[in-house]
Amino acid sequence: MLHRLRLRNFRCFEALDCPLQGEVTLFAGNNAHGKTTILESICMLLRLQSPRAGTLSEVVRLGEDGFVIEGDFSGRQLMFSLSGQRRQMKVDGDISKNRASYLAETGLVVWMGNDDLALVRGGGDVRRRYMDFAASQIYPGYRNALRAYNRALRARNFLFKRDNRPRWEQIAAYTKLLVKHGTVIAEARADLIAALCPSASHAQSGISGRDESLGLNYLRSGGEDLATAYEQNADQDSRRRQTHIGPHRDDLILEIKGLAAGQFASEGQQRTIALALKLAQAEVLREAKGADPVLLIDDIFGELDQARRNALLTYLPKSSQKLITTTHLDWADDAFLTASQRYLVDGSGVC
Amino acid sequence: MARIDFPEEVKLLIAHLKRLPGVGPKSAERIAVWLIARDGGFSDDLAKAIMLSGEVIKDCRICGFFESSVIGCELCADLQRDTTMICVVEQPTDVLPLERTGAFKGSYHCLGGRIAPLDDIAPEDLRIDSLVSRIAGGCVSEVILGVGSDVEGEATANYLAELLATGFPDLTVTRLAQGLPAGGGLDNADELTLYRALDGRRRL
Ligand SMILES: [Zn+2]
Repeated sequence: MLHRLRLRNFRCFEALDCPLQGEVTLFAGNNAHGKTTILESICMLLRLQSPRAGTLSEVVRLGEDGFVIEGDFSGRQLMFSLSGQRRQMKVDGDISKNRASYLAETGLVVWMGNDDLALVRGGGDVRRRYMDFAASQIYPGYRNALRAYNRALRARNFLFKRDNRPRWEQIAAYTKLLVKHGTVIAEARADLIAALCPSASHAQSGISGRDESLGLNYLRSGGEDLATAYEQNADQDSRRRQTHIGPHRDDLILEIKGLAAGQFASEGQQRTIALALKLAQAEVLREAKGADPVLLIDDIFGELDQARRNALLTYLPKSSQKLITTTHLDWADDAFLTASQRYLVDGSGVC
Repeated sequence: MARIDFPEEVKLLIAHLKRLPGVGPKSAERIAVWLIARDGGFSDDLAKAIMLSGEVIKDCRICGFFESSVIGCELCADLQRDTTMICVVEQPTDVLPLERTGAFKGSYHCLGGRIAPLDDIAPEDLRIDSLVSRIAGGCVSEVILGVGSDVEGEATANYLAELLATGFPDLTVTRLAQGLPAGGGLDNADELTLYRALDGRRRL
């Protein structure tokens, strides 16, 4: 549980000090007034990555040289900062050696956002990000394998593009790395999807109020045996001058009653699927790690119809801390409002 | 009114200092100002030391380690070394931490870098040919791949392992055991880690 958040030079906030208490905190405010920024900073404090920024420097306040995020998380003082090019992580004042040792001390996160609909409607990259975000929190070594895989992939593709006649001995050196790291990634994802499937299906039926079975399948573009797959696709890779199978092309197949959800589900069903995937993620994280993830819920209540909203409210895990942004509070009933901590966000601070 | 900056000579000094590894614009200015304020011949001594090491020190044509025109390559000159074993490393500086462990009595081969297509470093840019001739011409029975454990290091190890297995079927090729700092070269590893890495090397 995050008890306090402090920001310095983070996007629109020069300084922010925000005590947090209770199961639910609501951040209300107009668009572009920094509500999402608060959730983003919490995600970065706990996971060292932003759900929306590509680079760390993007979140630095205009004209400043770096940022500081601090939090009091379950009795530990966490700090993540950037100063110039130098980033630093601290737990209880001690500098963490690397990202992995810091992340081992922080908390789990589930991000629920308005653009989660892209999980159903968007391309495979959205679903791969979803799998990667969850898998990095569960499987030690996943994050490193993913980084190494991506670097090896860039090098291999570069070799195909650079030479008219492929230098196979060099390409093979990188193929071996794709097999090594790709196998770690694919096995973790398959394991993750198997764990998500029952929870997601359960949440789908619960929120929609109908018996809608949701199917999740991990589709491996290269099959189970990556070494053989890369070998068999070598000629095609060489012709197309890029690596076209492997975890970077795998996908998560979503089916509702056996039909492809992206094409055949209604918009309402698709919104429910997006919610179900995130709720399942929360449950799987809790089961795998024995700790409650923090739920960062960005501006989704205003978009849901009343039935789904109420179903979601009853479905949100009781034991998890929930930080919720919203433009208006019309959807919330009195009991919910009384039980929640409330802040108004106005672009430079909270009150 | 003209905007005042450092004199041209100082700007040139700063420009050169900025090219040194790990020296940013601010540090370059600080070092330059510090050097100018120094008297008692420090700058002269520094310039001489740089010139001398540039003139005297070359890469050994056999193993790639530092070779001095005064005493030659200390590694190649050392007759006590076991020449049936060669430990292949990226840089000459990687030899020193391995030597400090005292666990390795064989000879070394410094590649001068690692294969990194994204940084435009190809196998031809490295001392791979001379490694092959050393093995072809001698009584080498084991080659230990002591290149780094990051992606480029691993790719270089894979490349060399394949090349040597094809060219020398009887040669034993081993890799330093895992446990080296991920993403770092050998010079980041402490002695105990290196000792264990050498001791637990595995056959490829
Ligand atoms: Zn030598």
